[in-house]
Amino acid sequence: MPMTENIKINIKNLWFYYNDHPILEDISLEIPQNTITAVTGPSGQGKSTFLMTLNRLWESIEETRIKGHIEIRFGSDFQNIYDKRYNVSDLRRQVGMVFQVPNPLPMSIYNNIAFPLKLKGENNKTLGSFRVEDALKRSFLWDEVKDRLNEDARALSGGQQQRLCIARALVLNPQVLLLDEPTSSLDDKSGRVIEDLLLELKKDCTMILVSHYLDQVKRIADSGMVLSDRQMKQQW
Amino acid sequence: MDVKETIFKSVFFAASILSAGITLFILGFMIVLALPILKQGLFFDMLTGPWAPDHGLFGLGPMIIGTICIALMALVISFPVSLGCSFFIGILNPRGLGKWLKKIIESMTAVPTVIYGFVGIFFLVPLVRELFLKGSGMCILSAAIMLSILISPTMILFFVQSFSMVPQNDLNAVDALGGNTAQKFFYVVLPHSWKGMLTGIILSFGRAMGDTLIALMISGNSVAFPGSVLDSARTLTAHIALIIAADFDSIEFKTIFLSSIFLYIMTSFGIIMSRFSFKKRKTINET
Repeated sequence: MPMTENIKINIKNLWFYYNDHPILEDISLEIPQNTITAVTGPSGQGKSTFLMTLNRLWESIEETRIKGHIEIRFGSDFQNIYDKRYNVSDLRRQVGMVFQVPNPLPMSIYNNIAFPLKLKGENNKTLGSFRVEDALKRSFLWDEVKDRLNEDARALSGGQQQRLCIARALVLNPQVLLLDEPTSSLDDKSGRVIEDLLLELKKDCTMILVSHYLDQVKRIADSGMVLSDRQMKQQW
Repeated sequence: MDVKETIFKSVFFAASILSAGITLFILGFMIVLALPILKQGLFFDMLTGPWAPDHGLFGLGPMIIGTICIALMALVISFPVSLGCSFFIGILNPRGLGKWLKKIIESMTAVPTVIYGFVGIFFLVPLVRELFLKGSGMCILSAAIMLSILISPTMILFFVQSFSMVPQNDLNAVDALGGNTAQKFFYVVLPHSWKGMLTGIILSFGRAMGDTLIALMISGNSVAFPGSVLDSARTLTAHIALIIAADFDSIEFKTIFLSSIFLYIMTSFGIIMSRFSFKKRKTINET
């Protein structure tokens, strides 16, 4: 059992319902900081839904509801992320998410990375460009795109697009990163680059990785969970 | 290629030629019937001049001004309401309420315009009269308000349709980055859907210009140039209806063909302009 001061995310008795049918049943879990926790399991069992409970992204889906507690430690104190007074935008700036299919927005590479800063209302151009460069470097993409930052991001290859999406999430310096099968739409080589990148990011972020590939999970995850029959079981 | 496919192809080709041809034929038909007037070389006088048949003046100026004022004003009233409504249905959609609201709005398109006209006469016209204490209440403002209600379902449904075409991936991206609803709307929804919205606006404007009954019933049908929105005015469509009801062979009667030509040109112009702006925007995006 990890020490409490190392716990980043504390999930207690989490239930999730879609159309009044439980999708997740009484899940309790402690996730240590600066680790990669992998969630595997059969398709359609609610792995993505589980990720969305951590940044409240499920709230835009109709006929869904949640029961239980999720606390994330930002700084020294645990924050109940479902507290009514807690701002959901603030939460999502601290808990980044990368989706299965890369989703660059229809704008230039630079503007994609700078977009979260714009959403946050940070208008300092010099600081902004420094942070964009930093995020691109941290996501192993800088050398490939530094000469064409003004090109449309959708012209990049699939693997580059996914690293762009990781960079876009990193520019806000999130403490937690949710990864929903980030390599499943990519070829092996691009997938490996992303794996190396995630290992590198461990020093800054706590990551939860949904993945189908058991070998991938074994290579990079610190602990493995299986989600099946609405239950979460620790595998190692 | 077998015979069957050739037959199908030619049937569909003939159908498209026919429907395109009919529109052109109608324009030709109206020009032929308006020829006696056009030949007198009074075309521009008639488009701008006043209407006073007793003095031999058959200008359509007041009706053109009336039509444009009423249709534009209806559009200006309807646009913000429709935008808000479609935003509520398509983006906010609290507790799945949007679905039901959309069904109600869809059923609004089936309401005959004469019903709107009645509501206008018995409710809106007295209200406008009492509120502004000027004239009979049958005026540009009343007609524009009623027309704005008539055209808003078209606009709302087009807007909602365009919003629903915005890729879910892009919406997720903004949500997951902590964007709020307004940011999502301005940075992702609008850039994706403005083309469809523009089509909705143009079709609604066409509908506002082309509607006859509401203007006929509540705009007052005065043939004078309107000076304010509380003045009575006559639209081109109402003019056509009123002349046809009273006459069949006179210069007055012949002017209705000119009215039709003008309506035709106005609506076609709008559609061509919108196509043109699409193309221009596309090339900007590509470069």
